[in-house]
Formats: sequence, structure tokens, C-alpha cells
Amino acid sequence: MSDSNSTGHSSLSPPPPGSRRSPSPGGTSVSTQIALRNMRRLEARRNMEENHYLTQKARNCNLNPPVDLRALDYVSKYDDNLVCPICRCPLVDPVLLMDCDHCFCRECIRQTWTTYSPLGPKGDCPTCRMPAKLGPRASTSKILVNILDDLVVKCPKSENGCKSEIKRGEVQDHITIYCGYAMVECKDSGCGQSVRRKDYDLGCLHYNVSCESCQQNMPKAELETHWQLQCPDRQVKCDLCSSLIYYRDREEHRKEACPAVNVPCPGAPLGCTNKSRRAHLDIHVKGCVLAKLGPVLDAQKQRMDEQESAHKLINRKLEILETGFTAMQDILSANRSGPPDNGSTETLIVPSRSRAESTATDSTRIASADDYDFPVPPSNRGSAIEPESPPTTNTTRSSTTPRTTATPRSLTSPPLRPAPQAPFPRPTDLPPPTTTDFDLASPFSTTAPGADGPYSSPLHHLLSMHESLRDEMARVSAALTELDGRHSMQILNENLRTRDEIAYLGGQVAGMGRQVHWLTSAQLQRQTPGGSAAAREVGTGASAGGGGAGGSVEGAVNAMSTAATALRGAARVVNVGGGQGSPTSPGMRRGVSEEGRTKL
Amino acid sequence: MAGMSSKRLQKELVKIQGTLPPGISLVSAPDLKEWQMDISVLDNPLYPPADKYRLRFTFSPSYPIEAPEVVFLAAPDRNIPMHPHIYSNGIICLDLLDSQGWSPVHNVESVCISIQSMLASNTKAERPPGDKEFVRSNRQRPRDINFLYHDPTV
Repeated sequence: MSDSNSTGHSSLSPPPPGSRRSPSPGGTSVSTQIALRNMRRLEARRNMEENHYLTQKARNCNLNPPVDLRALDYVSKYDDNLVCPICRCPLVDPVLLMDCDHCFCRECIRQTWTTYSPLGPKGDCPTCRMPAKLGPRASTSKILVNILDDLVVKCPKSENGCKSEIKRGEVQDHITIYCGYAMVECKDSGCGQSVRRKDYDLGCLHYNVSCESCQQNMPKAELETHWQLQCPDRQVKCDLCSSLIYYRDREEHRKEACPAVNVPCPGAPLGCTNKSRRAHLDIHVKGCVLAKLGPVLDAQKQRMDEQESAHKLINRKLEILETGFTAMQDILSANRSGPPDNGSTETLIVPSRSRAESTATDSTRIASADDYDFPVPPSNRGSAIEPESPPTTNTTRSSTTPRTTATPRSLTSPPLRPAPQAPFPRPTDLPPPTTTDFDLASPFSTTAPGADGPYSSPLHHLLSMHESLRDEMARVSAALTELDGRHSMQILNENLRTRDEIAYLGGQVAGMGRQVHWLTSAQLQRQTPGGSAAAREVGTGASAGGGGAGGSVEGAVNAMSTAATALRGAARVVNVGGGQGSPTSPGMRRGVSEEGRTKL
Repeated sequence: MAGMSSKRLQKELVKIQGTLPPGISLVSAPDLKEWQMDISVLDNPLYPPADKYRLRFTFSPSYPIEAPEVVFLAAPDRNIPMHPHIYSNGIICLDLLDSQGWSPVHNVESVCISIQSMLASNTKAERPPGDKEFVRSNRQRPRDINFLYHDPTV
């Protein structure tokens, strides 16, 4: 062996020149040996490659991947000592680690080691952490393998419907050869799809059909699987109560109906911690106090909620009323502050509540209450009248209502009497919130039930009337002022216009006067040469001479009227240009007219 | 891989729902991704036996090859225990939960027992040094933190 090795080595390496020149006869036999070995090697490699190719092809053609024996469900019981500590399954292809003799599945230990060390299958023993490796004789004895392979398992296609249970060692054969639920190629070679082995003889099943209940489209080959595993209308067994239910109803069944589900007692919100099966719930409810109390308490809670909401509503109403009440108080106090010597009434009305609380100052309260009930009149009259004489005060104040003279006494006395008894008496002598919107149309309507109504004192009625009258007076005076202003404005405007017109007329008349003056002077000049004749004419016929003179004047006036239109324009210009000149014009005009009159 | 993880967790769940050591109880396991457990320490005056502490387990698809993420949770009636290796945000500095110290042989129950014993052997009611700084600045997942395991006593 060593001999051939050395020669083989020499033949492979570049030979020395001497050896080439004289090849020995023994060298030929060695070279044939080498050739033979090489051929053998080549053949072995070919075989290996052929096998490899065949297995690859078989793997590709086989539609069922090799079974992972660690994922099987075991039917038969097995000893705990036959379990791999890594996958917790009965050992598959068990191996013993060198040095520590711990046993694992070959695949498990390989995975463990390759995950952590990329260097290859070596590392520490997972159990004892000793450095370990797989020796050449790692496989365990045949006895152990046989025991493990005799364990009965369910077919890996049991989920698809295969019911067979076989020995673990035969599972791979069962899948590749026998199992009706393993996939094989379709009988129709042109189809190229796969079909379950038991359906192989039915021909090509790869045409579309639709499920009868859920109307879903699928190939005929998948219909059975669909009906068994996927269709929502299929019937399944409830795993708790083992009754048949529709798959689509199972959630509802679990929640509502399943008698095997544990449900809490109906009295759980009240603290009952009992949980019993729905079927046995009635028995518990019969004895459970909390469950019986449940509906009663629920009704009570509902009623309480209603009451609470009503209470809230009332509270809000009260708040609104109180704000109205305080507004009313403010109005009243403002009203009271009007009369000059009325300090006592002010202190009475505003802090009315504090007054009600302090029961100690009863006497002062009575006195002040008297003051309040009969308010002091204005000083000019009140100075003459004592505050302790209520009837006179009242008559002086309001003589219109004779009834009120009697009522204040009777009305103010009741709140004084119950005050010490009740701890928080609402001050009854104060105006109620309802009087804020007092009805002016029927002002005495409140006095009618006023005998029993604590708030409807005629005094307050009068006060409010007084207040409203004052408001109205203020409104009327404001309106009057406004009207006055408007009127004066209007008058001023009209005045201005008239004044302008007068100025314009004055200008016109002045122009006319000037013309007349000119005309008369011209006439006089014309008459002066014939003065004697005129004098003569005076004697002969005054009327004729007057008529002739009048005729000439008339002609002049006619001429003047024609010129007047031209003059008007000029006058207008004058008017516009010198507006301030207008005040002087009346005097001037008067002077001109007088002159003209004298001239005429 | 994922099949192995769920298969193993299912088996663990069945076992946990059966029997558990004293002081350890299952709170919720809504799915096979996140479980919550309660532990109480029975024989350490630092932790009254009535006090319970909430642990949250988060499993990756490669469990049990990879370690689960285990932290303490603060809840209205659950505090984070005072311990020199437990930060106040619940992160536990324990080599068992790190990729170096984890072994696929461990399971939820054994991790609970380890943490319980870690609390039981504690004598100092204090937080780790630099707790505030760590809690404020840490944004990493617990498995990504490089803890330095220097204390072999726990």
C-alpha cells in the first residue's frame, strides 16, 4: 500500500529528467494500476452522482415531503427515558455523545450545535455541559432503535382525514405508498396538478365547482376537504359539551348556550365569586342570596339614578331662582337707597339671611322690621311724621290703596313669630323671585291671595309699581329730549333756506330799484327842457299830463322787466359769491325802496 | 423548526397545567408565543411568601434551540423584586437566559425554578449598579445585551 502510494505520488509530481529518459519496465504496471484506480474512483463518483440525482429527482417528484418523526402524535404509551431532552419526543435516530453518553436525536443535537457554533457538529453536552462530540459509533444499539420504531403513531395526514395508525418505522412507507390522503400526480398527465391518492382513479378532478352551502368556488378535488375543514356551514363537535353545532355558530354557542362553560353567578357584581357550569347554574342560583338580590338592587339602582337626575334638575332650577332672587334684592336695595334717611331699611333688606340666622337680636329686628315695613317717606314730609306711626306714613305714601294700610301689619307679623322656632327660616318678608316679572296689567292681582301668600305684600307691589313708573318717566323724558332736539334741528334747517331766499329777493329788488332810479332820472332830465310846457300842462289837464307821464313810466317799467331777467342771473351770482353780504341787504333794500318811492 | 417548537411547547403546557412545584403557577398561555407565570419565594425574609412576581416568557420559533426571553412584569398587584441582578424594568441578568448559558434541555418550569432559587438565595435588597442609567438608556431586547456574568454565587 505504501509502495503504490509512493509511486503514485512520483507519477503525479513532475518526474525528474532522468526517469523520463529511461522509464523502467515496472513503471508501466504501476501506471496501469493507477489508471484502474482512477477509473474505479470515477465510477464511484458517477454512481454517487447518479444516486444523488435520483434522490433529488425522487424528492422533487414526490409531492409528500419526508415525514418529520418528531412532529407525530403518538398513540402508544412510551417510557419517559426514551424521550429526547431537546424535543421532548421519543428519540428519533438516537445518538450517544462521546465521553458523557447522553442521548439525543441526531437532528436535535445537530441543530443545537450548528445554531451556536458554525464550526460544525461539536460543542457542549446540553445536559451536563461537558465538551462532547459525535464519535464514529455514535448510533445506539439496534434494540433501542427497534423499540422506538415499534411505537404506534397516527398518520401525519390524520388532519386531512386518514384514520390509520401505524408503527413509527413504517410511517414514511405509509405516506409514500399507501396513504389515501397523500398527494400524487393527477391521472391526466397534461393536468400537472396533484390529487389525493384515493381520488386518483376518479380521473382529473381539477374543474371548478361551488360548495352547496357557502357558494364558494373551488376545484372538485378540494371540495371534500373544504366541506370537512373549512366550510362555515359544516357541523363540528363542541369540544366542551360534545354536541354537534355548526362551525359558524361555535362562538355564539360558547358564549350563550354551551352547558359545559363556566359562567359566573348572576350575583357576581354584588360579590358572589361562585363560577359554575351553565348546566348547574340554576342549582347555585337557588341557594345564592346575592343572585336573588340582584334584580331588586338593580331596580333600586335604576330608581336612584332617576332620582339623582331629577335632583340635579331641581338644583339647577333652584340656582336660577336664586340668581333671580339676588337680582331682585339688588333692585330693591337700590330703590331703597333713594330716600334720604333710610339707612336702616337698607341694612335690613340686603343682609336678610344673616338676620334670619341671628336669633339673639330679636328686639332690634322687630324695630327694624317696623322700619322696613313702613318705609320713611321723603324728607320734606317725613320730617313731620314719626317713624313709629305706621298708618299715617302709609297713607301719606300711598293714598290710592286704602287696603294696604291694613295689610302691612298683618303680613309682617307672621315672619316675626316663627323666626325663633325654625333654625333657618326663609325670610318671608322679602319679595319672592316671582315678583321680578311683575304684571303691570293687573297690579293688584297679588294682593288678592296676599292674605296667605307671604310674599305678596301690597307694599312691595307699590314699590315695584313705583319703580316701573320711574322707569317709564325716564323713558318718556328721554323721548322728549330726543324730540326736542329733532325739532330744533328741523327749524334751523328751514330757517336757513328761507333766509337764503329772502337774500336773493333782496338782491333782485335792489337791482330793480337801481334801474328805476336810472329811468326816473333820465325821464326827469328829458322833462327839464320842457319844464315850462309841463308847468303849462299842469294847469290845463293834470290828468292828461299825469297819464302821459304814467305812460312813459310804464314803458320804462316794461323795459325794466325785460332787463330784470338778465339782472336776476347777475343777482344770483352776487348772492352765491357774497353770502355774507345778505344781512346788510335788507337795510340797503329798504333804503333803495324808500328812495324809489320818494322818487316815484 | 417551527413544528418542533410548537410541539414541544404544547407538551410543556400540558405538563404545566398538571403539576407545578410550590410557589410557581401559570397565569396565562393564550398562544404558543407568550406565557405569563407567577412565582413566589417561600423561604427568604426579603420576599414575603404572599408576594407574587409576574414573569413573561416570549418564545421564538426556534425554541428550544434558542432561549426564551424572560422578564419580570410590573402589574397593579405585581412588583419587580429587589435583587442585585434584576433591573427595575424587569430585565434579568442571568446566564441561563443568555445564548451562552442556555441549553435546549431547559424548559419553562426549570427556568422558573432557577429564578426562584436565585431570589431565595439573595441577601441584598438592592438594584444592580447603574440601574437608573440602564433603565433609561436601554432599548435593546434582553437577549441582545452583553451581560458580564461575574457573580458565580447565584
